[in-house]
Amino acid sequence: MAAFASTSPSPAISASTWRMESLRAALPALRTSPSAAIGAGLRPRKQAVRLGASASPFLRSSFVSTSSASSSASPSSISSAVSASLAFSYTSSFSVESSFEHRLFGTDVHGRILAMRHGKRIPRLGRPADQRKALLRGLTTQLLKHGRIKTTKPRAKAMRKWVDKMITLAKDGSLHKRRQALGYIYEKHIVHALFAEVPDRYGERPGGYTRIIPTFPRRGDNAPMAYIELV
Amino acid sequence: MSRFVDPLVVGRVIGEVVDLFVPSVAMAVSYGAKDVSNGCHVKPSMAADQPLVRISGRRNDLYTLLMTDPDAPSPSDPTMREYLHWIVMNIPGGTDATKGDVVVPYMGPQPPVGIHRYVLVLFEQKSRLVDGYASPPADRPYFNTRAFASNHELGLPVAVVYFNSQREPSGNRRRR
Repeated sequence: MAAFASTSPSPAISASTWRMESLRAALPALRTSPSAAIGAGLRPRKQAVRLGASASPFLRSSFVSTSSASSSASPSSISSAVSASLAFSYTSSFSVESSFEHRLFGTDVHGRILAMRHGKRIPRLGRPADQRKALLRGLTTQLLKHGRIKTTKPRAKAMRKWVDKMITLAKDGSLHKRRQALGYIYEKHIVHALFAEVPDRYGERPGGYTRIIPTFPRRGDNAPMAYIELV
Repeated sequence: MSRFVDPLVVGRVIGEVVDLFVPSVAMAVSYGAKDVSNGCHVKPSMAADQPLVRISGRRNDLYTLLMTDPDAPSPSDPTMREYLHWIVMNIPGGTDATKGDVVVPYMGPQPPVGIHRYVLVLFEQKSRLVDGYASPPADRPYFNTRAFASNHELGLPVAVVYFNSQREPSGNRRRR
């Protein structure tokens, strides 16, 4: 109840709505991201899994939040949240979704709430999951096409896994693996060339098919750059 | 990570082009205003003319300089390794490359695909090589630095530097 004492709800909200929201507030929930309104074009569907969409203004003020989410975008997020809740009536339980800004907390596999990133080894590359996958697909395609590319060091380090995966698929060489590779690489002639030459080139090498060489930082933003090349 | 690894080893120049050596001569390469350091990036348009290569060393010694591209035609598929770009022989120590005899004229980097390394290797000659003209390498592609060095009894190099170059995007088309 103290959670709502500090809120500034619109006078139109009735007492019955409050009781529903108090139920929802009891569950651990995520803040609605303020960038949802800004970047709504990217993931409109993700707002469906927002818990208690209309409860978010109340929840936000109840948490001590460091970001400016509580102040900004509340009218727009209410409208988007209301539309989302209308469109998808099932509000599933809390889920960890990728977003641009720092989330208040995430959850682990068992559903426990975590405030830190300890042990999470997936590089997020500052992008939501679909963009991240597309970025890595494009980068591996270009590396397999050109043999050596220059990119930022975190991207090069994230790429290694996928380039090695593609070369391992090519080492196997069966039709099923070829189709899996075709589903990942953007250009099919590269896949066919890869499957043709990998057995000769990497037949004896047990893994580690790339090499990263750091180089001078980029002038515009001083980003650490690196060459990544096929060994 | 704190151990210093020679950039020539990291860039696989030692291993693919030359063998492990001990640098004994200082070599400074510059394309116009840009000085070349190991692994720096030089545009093909800037490298179209031959660079200024200044070497140290005693005046009596003669040096051979050559420039190759071990990543021809593409780093992922170097079938034409190496591609020869330049050979200058009989360079007196302490001067620059213009004072030597050009055996193979300079050709600027023109990488078709990918980022290529261009390696400048300096050897010390035991004697004045007059027959450099008689047996220049026939072709630019399929060159072998080690074979060239053993043919002319040059031994291990005394200085190596390499830079990267990439094909410049032609035109002003905006990919969207």
